Amino acid sequence: MFELFAQSAFSGVLAGAYYALIALGLALVFGTMRVINLAHGELVLLAAYVAYSAENKLHLDPLASLPLAVAVVGLTSIAVYGLLSRIKKDRELNSLILTFGLGVIMTNAILMIWSADIHSTSVPWHHDAIILADLLFAMNSEVFFGVAGLVVVAGLWWWLEKTWYGRALRAVASNRDAAKLMGINPQFTEILSFAVAGLLASVAGIAIYSAKVIQPSLGHHLTVKAFIITVLAGMGSVPGVLLGGMLLGIVENLTVTLASSALQELAGMVLFLVVLLVMPSGLFGRVRRRG
Amino acid sequence: MSKFASVSALAVFAVLAASTAWSAEIKIGSQIPKTGNLARVGGAMSEGIAVAAEMFNKKNGKHTVSVLTMDDESSPAKAVAAVEKLASDGVVAFTGGYGSNIIGPASEAAEKMNKTYITSGGVATELTKRGLKNFFRINNSEGYARALIGMYTELGIKSVTVIYSTKEATEEVAKMLEKTLSAKGVKVTLHAFDPSTTDFKPIVHKIKLQDRPEAIAMIGYENDYVGILRAAKVLKPDIKNISGVWSLATSKMWSEFPDLMNGVAGTSTLSYPAEFTTPEAKEFAETYQRMYNKAPDYLGIFGYVQSMMLFQAAAKAQDAGTIDKGGISEELRKLDVQTVIGRVRFDQDGDNPEFTHRMGQHQDGKVVLVWPADAATGKMNFPAVPW
Repeated sequence: MFELFAQSAFSGVLAGAYYALIALGLALVFGTMRVINLAHGELVLLAAYVAYSAENKLHLDPLASLPLAVAVVGLTSIAVYGLLSRIKKDRELNSLILTFGLGVIMTNAILMIWSADIHSTSVPWHHDAIILADLLFAMNSEVFFGVAGLVVVAGLWWWLEKTWYGRALRAVASNRDAAKLMGINPQFTEILSFAVAGLLASVAGIAIYSAKVIQPSLGHHLTVKAFIITVLAGMGSVPGVLLGGMLLGIVENLTVTLASSALQELAGMVLFLVVLLVMPSGLFGRVRRRG
Repeated sequence: MSKFASVSALAVFAVLAASTAWSAEIKIGSQIPKTGNLARVGGAMSEGIAVAAEMFNKKNGKHTVSVLTMDDESSPAKAVAAVEKLASDGVVAFTGGYGSNIIGPASEAAEKMNKTYITSGGVATELTKRGLKNFFRINNSEGYARALIGMYTELGIKSVTVIYSTKEATEEVAKMLEKTLSAKGVKVTLHAFDPSTTDFKPIVHKIKLQDRPEAIAMIGYENDYVGILRAAKVLKPDIKNISGVWSLATSKMWSEFPDLMNGVAGTSTLSYPAEFTTPEAKEFAETYQRMYNKAPDYLGIFGYVQSMMLFQAAAKAQDAGTIDKGGISEELRKLDVQTVIGRVRFDQDGDNPEFTHRMGQHQDGKVVLVWPADAATGKMNFPAVPW
């Protein structure tokens, strides 16, 4: 039983880091612009398909396709911002409708360009097994992107906390007009947040292409998963995204081991509801004071 | 003179009217997923339907068919809307549909309009237990379960773990395996998984440490098979065989995932490279190759068989003058034909009691038919797993 439990926890931690990678871009844009980008999953998926094309046409390892994916997804993400910035009234609500529509368009564009077939990398290294202490099993890509998830979360947190642009982003999120009076260009800052979200989506997309299977309808599921983790974390909290992702990953995996994998998604949703009931602002969310 | 002109005009009109009735263009509707999570399978079936229309129009001589297609977006509600829209466009019957949960409401919408609905995309038993008189299908869960059970029995397997998706059709096949194999004295363990599951290591780890079966049966879809096989390749459970059902023993799966497929078995209508022996099958393969520049897969074959039967029945109903009066369903019930997938006839529920699938095994880039013995194109590699 110990073996099962240990493997389950290990898989949960790796899954959590992977979930965090998917959710970070969504959390960043929400934290800085109060916009829930419902096309985020499709951006992640777009990166995965860029990696697929790079492997098939240019014979590149998925990891080597990162610059290409960042260029394509970064530009697409900025284009999403370009459309969002045209919304003048009720931005929070209208941005939901707009990004949902963009997600549908992107899903169908992916379907038309790459067809409905399922794909995954054929580079063997990504699927070779790593065995730790003759007890814990994983694929190379899972461990690699698990560690990458931790590094990216730490890097993003450092960037937001310690650099001028990171602080500018937080200042715009806090009070756009005051930030403007301090000499910050809010529009540039918001474009920057979408560009960074595109970078994060690219890393997540390559992780999915390397360790999982991609198909055009996956984007919507990724958005839902990212949204759950973002809310679980506390809207806009970067460390919370990592913790929320890992909590979700561990709960899901333990449910499979101790009960049934048919209950895996249900367990995740129960966790989500329990956290929201007990901590309505999420695990790391700031409580908004009235007055 | 004017009387003669009137009579002549009437005669010409009568001849024209008669010839129109003689050679009609029959409109057939196809509600099928072109987008959404069933887009790939819907697209493949749609190709088979188009090939059937092409061959029918070339050969029939009297009537032609035109197929109007609408995307149901892999959604039951959209499927019902598609059936209703196609009916308003004048179609007399439907071919297509994928997914038992989608085909259910779509075929009920067709039934309300007294129009025939034929499919190969929904294998759940309850579809043919609804008392619909215009619903037909050429395959069913039993045929898939029968093939797996037959292969396990022939191999002398004593214990099987079944990993199955919680969707209706997959769960049904899993329960059939459990019931029949248990009755034969085989130890069967079931593991259900949610369709959104991507990491199968916890399940496979349980199988490795607790179940310790001789064989694993995967009842799911392509992405599930890849996830299970990847997890198994990492954990390496000590088994002798790993098999599945639809969409597994295909050339597509080998070309996309060659590292995962060698030795894996799945239901299959054809060996690969495909060997088409009958004149009809050869013509079908040639037409398919010409239209799509590739060899047909099993979904295309099913789409072709169901549609060709429907077109033939519609043509007969047209000749009998009953096409708008339930005649297509009557003609389908009379059919008993040898097709590319074997014998097809329909019972009173619209099901095909003759349907039994074959088992194919991936062997170094080929799919070799290994069960039943009379259809086998080679010997089964056993024990054989991809790791």
